[in-house]
Amino acid sequence: MGKGRYLLKRLIYIVFVFFIISILMFFIYKSMPGDPVESMLGSLKTSMRPDAYQELYDRTAERLGVNQPLPVQYFAWISNMLTGNFGYSTQYQRQVIDVIGAPMFNTIMLNLFTMIVVFLVSIFLGIATAVHKNGVFDKGVQVVTIVGYSIPSFIIALLAIFAFAVKIPIFPISGIRTPGSEATGIAAALDVAWHMALPVLVMSVSGIGGITRYVRASMIDALRMDYIKTARAKGLREKTVIYVHAFRNALIPIVTITTWWIIGLFGGSVVIESVFLWNGLGKMLIDGLMNRDFSIVLTMQMFYVLLSLAGNVLMDIAYTIVDPRVRLEN
Amino acid sequence: MAEKKKRAPRRSTMGKAAQRMMVGGMPQEEEEILQSPMRMALGTFLHDKVAMAGVFCFLIIFLCCIVLPFFYPIDLYYQDVTQANVAPGFGMIKVPSAMQGKAQDISVGSTFSVGLDTEGNVYEWGTFPTDKLKNIPSSEETGKLVMVSAGLDHVVAANEDGQVFTWGNDRMGLSQVPMELEMGGAHIKQLEAGYQISLALTEEGKMYNWGSQYLLNISYPEGVQGNIEKFAQSTNIVMVLTKDGEIVPLSANTSSAYTKIPEDIQGSVVDFDLTDESAAAVTSDGRVHVWGNNVNGTLNVPEEIQGRVVSVSAGRYHFSVILDDGSVVSWGDNTHGQASAPALSSAAKQVDAGYYASYAITEDGRVTSWGLDGYLMGTDNLGRDVFRRLLVGGRMTMTVGAISVIISTIIGILVGGISGYKGGKVDNLLMRLTEIVSSVPFLPFCIILSSILGNSIGETQRIILIMVILGVLSWPGIARLVRGSVLAEREQEFVTAAKALGVKEFGIIFRHIVPNIITVIIVNATLDFATCMLTESSLSFIGFGVSEPNATWGNMLNGAQNGTVIENYWWRWVFPSVVLGLCTISINCIGDGLRDAIDPKSKER
Repeated sequence: MGKGRYLLKRLIYIVFVFFIISILMFFIYKSMPGDPVESMLGSLKTSMRPDAYQELYDRTAERLGVNQPLPVQYFAWISNMLTGNFGYSTQYQRQVIDVIGAPMFNTIMLNLFTMIVVFLVSIFLGIATAVHKNGVFDKGVQVVTIVGYSIPSFIIALLAIFAFAVKIPIFPISGIRTPGSEATGIAAALDVAWHMALPVLVMSVSGIGGITRYVRASMIDALRMDYIKTARAKGLREKTVIYVHAFRNALIPIVTITTWWIIGLFGGSVVIESVFLWNGLGKMLIDGLMNRDFSIVLTMQMFYVLLSLAGNVLMDIAYTIVDPRVRLEN
Repeated sequence: MAEKKKRAPRRSTMGKAAQRMMVGGMPQEEEEILQSPMRMALGTFLHDKVAMAGVFCFLIIFLCCIVLPFFYPIDLYYQDVTQANVAPGFGMIKVPSAMQGKAQDISVGSTFSVGLDTEGNVYEWGTFPTDKLKNIPSSEETGKLVMVSAGLDHVVAANEDGQVFTWGNDRMGLSQVPMELEMGGAHIKQLEAGYQISLALTEEGKMYNWGSQYLLNISYPEGVQGNIEKFAQSTNIVMVLTKDGEIVPLSANTSSAYTKIPEDIQGSVVDFDLTDESAAAVTSDGRVHVWGNNVNGTLNVPEEIQGRVVSVSAGRYHFSVILDDGSVVSWGDNTHGQASAPALSSAAKQVDAGYYASYAITEDGRVTSWGLDGYLMGTDNLGRDVFRRLLVGGRMTMTVGAISVIISTIIGILVGGISGYKGGKVDNLLMRLTEIVSSVPFLPFCIILSSILGNSIGETQRIILIMVILGVLSWPGIARLVRGSVLAEREQEFVTAAKALGVKEFGIIFRHIVPNIITVIIVNATLDFATCMLTESSLSFIGFGVSEPNATWGNMLNGAQNGTVIENYWWRWVFPSVVLGLCTISINCIGDGLRDAIDPKSKER
């Protein structure tokens, strides 16, 4: 089976999964407390005459389609969702689509920077510890990484705030940019970067802990293979052996774990955004839940689902790149 | 065999010889060869220093959380703003040795105490809620002080000329001592600092009050002012004892539990005092009468003291009395030992109870104290003891983690076992299901479910809901693992044998195959336990997990989300963080150690 057909098959499957999850989401949507018609009409119930209100109620119910059978409602809902009509946010008094732009950008920026830091550090650390297995450096890194992935990120966040924002005040405690700052261009970008330093640091520490251990383990496995002996016997330089022959093969398990980690990263940034008051999707989700603004909540949830499915697609593509055997399987 | 025996003594060293003496002449080497894989794994695990350190650390935390709450009981609903944000430390009732033998007056404040010796020197000790309390006026300024009283965060004192001084918190009008008292000349009989209020009584029976009247609205019924013998105050009410032996509440609102004063004692009362929820009065026949709300047993007067009581003094939830033979007795709340009055060396002259402690001054001027000495780990913003909440919080965090892991492991074994053994369509279906569940973004989904489903249910149901959500969403990992192991095991001979014997499929999977892969499952469950604890803490931390007043390590940190708390009240986040971190690190170490022990190949990594 070729690469294309493999990917196509996975894609069809993922679309199928998406619909299954969206049905699940729809039921959550339906089980949300409160009558959608009543919440739409708001305070009109008290100000209008009962018979006129009833008439308006029926008309709104008709328009919203809550009287129709569930499958019909589901298809109406999912087509709205897919066309970007996420509903009306009671909290911001605007369409959801208009308010999620900035937070989405902020969250993606935060996670992207974290990813870059984590990859740079953990791949370097993982390879270095695997090559010098059981050395002093390796043992030290092992201890640090087990601490890094055992301690919850919010505790690291508290420690980081205490150390770098309270005791040595070099970074701001929270927020995304200096309040009242009129800076534009590069100055504004630097301001955001300055605010982003602590959250990125905190999220990186947790990420580095886990990923380094995986990189190290799969590198050690790869380095024990016969083809490494062959490569060395051929007289290849040690660098080529490690970075080309061993690392390429070690990548397969790393790709799997990385995908799960990225999905978890976006989910986990909910906590970090809440600690650092980072105006991202996670904070928006929590604010939405606190204010019972369910259009926002549902859009956020949809975003997370799409993200994890996109992660799955990316994983499949990455597999076909790093592992030629995938094309032959199935 | 014979040859071996002959050779053995020659090889033995001093250590081996000693070992032989202890265990007898058993051939050690042969036994090692015969070890079962299980025992070998156990041996490896026991020699893994990191893992054993983890076991040790986890066991200590676990035992502390299970055993210590019996010695340090906690009322989850208890709150007390007077004890809010107290720094860790002891010595709240450690009377300065310079005062011993010449104590004149002593008074208990919220978390500190103030004392006065016969020479008029002022002593302060304990944890000070505000640094202004250290600005004690100099003796040149005050003259010889004879009376002192401590309140929430301020102190009032009077000298022998009847001049009144105050220091500590100076807001809410607390520094505005009435002119007559500031000038001196009045014969001050009683002086008390309360919750943002100060009260004074002269020999003539006239009462003064200054400070905030926000909580205590004082109004004098007709004929009371000028006829007062003694007053008593709590955070809710001020009451006075008139010179005719009657108790009168100084409150416009007359329908509280305190005001239901027993009619038959009116006219014969000699002393009385108020706790936060109740009142006690001593009549001339030496009996104690109590009324009010029976919170923490403040109304349960010990029967044997009736008829012998001379005077009474009250703290927040306890009473201390002096009997006619000079001994002291306390009853009421005993959380901090404030109801366990010690035996005194000589007869008590005066007993001062306040907040959570009591002091007794004996005839020879010595002071004995009992009650709250301090908080090991400080208190939080609602005045709750962080140490006690840490203990019950640990129990809750571990219970939630353990039950979630049990749920997810059971689902994982079922799905993985059936999927791996059956293969084909069933396998395909179950694995797609696993994939769907693991595609659901975990933390956001937990937050949404706990917020939507947990909105209208009670606290206990909410805890169960959190366990179920965590368990039901975290099984895919273990299911994949079990499936992989079952795939490897199902071709073994013992499975064929079981099939031949006609064992049902269900029996083959769960009776024959699963016991063979139980070690893998245990390792994974251990690591999952740490993960579930982390997830629960994260959820509780952002306020979507176990909710107050139930404590977990996560929701104890919930209040620490702002810079002020992180900077000023370090004890509120350092202790829960350290314990949670230690606990998850040790569990992960145990899990890693178990995996290394069971699968020696993984140790080479």
